[in-house]
Amino acid sequence: MDCKTIRDLVSELWGGELPAEAREHLSKCAGCEAFWRDARLVQTGFRALAEEAAPEASLGFASRLVRRLHEWEGKGARSEFFETVGRRFVYATLALTLALLLSMALPTTGPVRGVAGADFLGLQSQNQVSQPDVIGGDLGDSRGLLPGGPSD
Amino acid sequence: MARSESEVAQEVECIRRVQQGEGEAFGRLVERHQQRVFSIVFHLVRRRDEVEDLAQEIFFKAFRAIRSYNFQSSFATWVSRIAVNHCYDYLRKVRSSRLSYYSEMTEESARELERKAESPSAQGLDHGEKVALREFVGKLLERAPEDDRLILTLKELEDYSVEEIADLLKLKTSTVKVRLHRARKRMVEDLERWRQEGK
Repeated sequence: MDCKTIRDLVSELWGGELPAEAREHLSKCAGCEAFWRDARLVQTGFRALAEEAAPEASLGFASRLVRRLHEWEGKGARSEFFETVGRRFVYATLALTLALLLSMALPTTGPVRGVAGADFLGLQSQNQVSQPDVIGGDLGDSRGLLPGGPSD
Repeated sequence: MARSESEVAQEVECIRRVQQGEGEAFGRLVERHQQRVFSIVFHLVRRRDEVEDLAQEIFFKAFRAIRSYNFQSSFATWVSRIAVNHCYDYLRKVRSSRLSYYSEMTEESARELERKAESPSAQGLDHGEKVALREFVGKLLERAPEDDRLILTLKELEDYSVEEIADLLKLKTSTVKVRLHRARKRMVEDLERWRQEGK
């Protein structure tokens, strides 16, 4: 058994009887023996901690709590409702304002908006048809004949 | 602690009344479960003066969420789950300062404490030594990551079974076993580190 296996075993059995092989390892390995002792110390500490009684609720804890819950139901819940609704109203107003600002910032005519945009796109496609292809056209074909061109 | 069928039936009736809006009935549920919640809070948070305030917040949360309680787990488990989650959040907020307590003990008294603590129970210790050991392991627990602290407290201090912890934390039993084993190992290794810091 190596040191890691021993330490895993100590943590797993946690106070239970270790097998003979592990006990033999502990008698030879100071590091693992210290680990085992520390584990025992922690276990005893836990037992001592568990014995410590938790504080008891003060007299009238439950009735005070119910009274506060009633108060909360009366005004807290209402104010919480208005707070939630109010917050949503503010978010909605902000979103609307942002949308309005964006619509104002965008051009009223252009490639992405309205009939005028569609006209523009139509015009552009017509222009593309009438214009000569710069690469595939006359200039493109004559490039190879120019001095210093790709054929050099 | 096993409860009679009539007690369980009474509790179910009480919960239904709270769910229908009868706040007064919640008081009886609080009275029945307050000690369990106080114990979880105290062992997890270890601040006596804050236990009642935290318990109040926990019951407040339970009241607000009670309509979502569907009787699938026991009410005790449901409230304990709220308590554990609330304490977990609290611990994450107020991460305690990592005090070097070990260095505050003399080498001699630390050795003496260790020697006595080797007995299987804490019986061999006198009152003062028991208090010192509590403080010592309590501080060690405070140094531990929140997840380790949670699982170790539920198992070692609250004496929950692995199955109960799995139910409470909504984990598989095998996951709880692995986490528990790792948390113990880390804690013992941290004790060694703590000693080195103190020297």
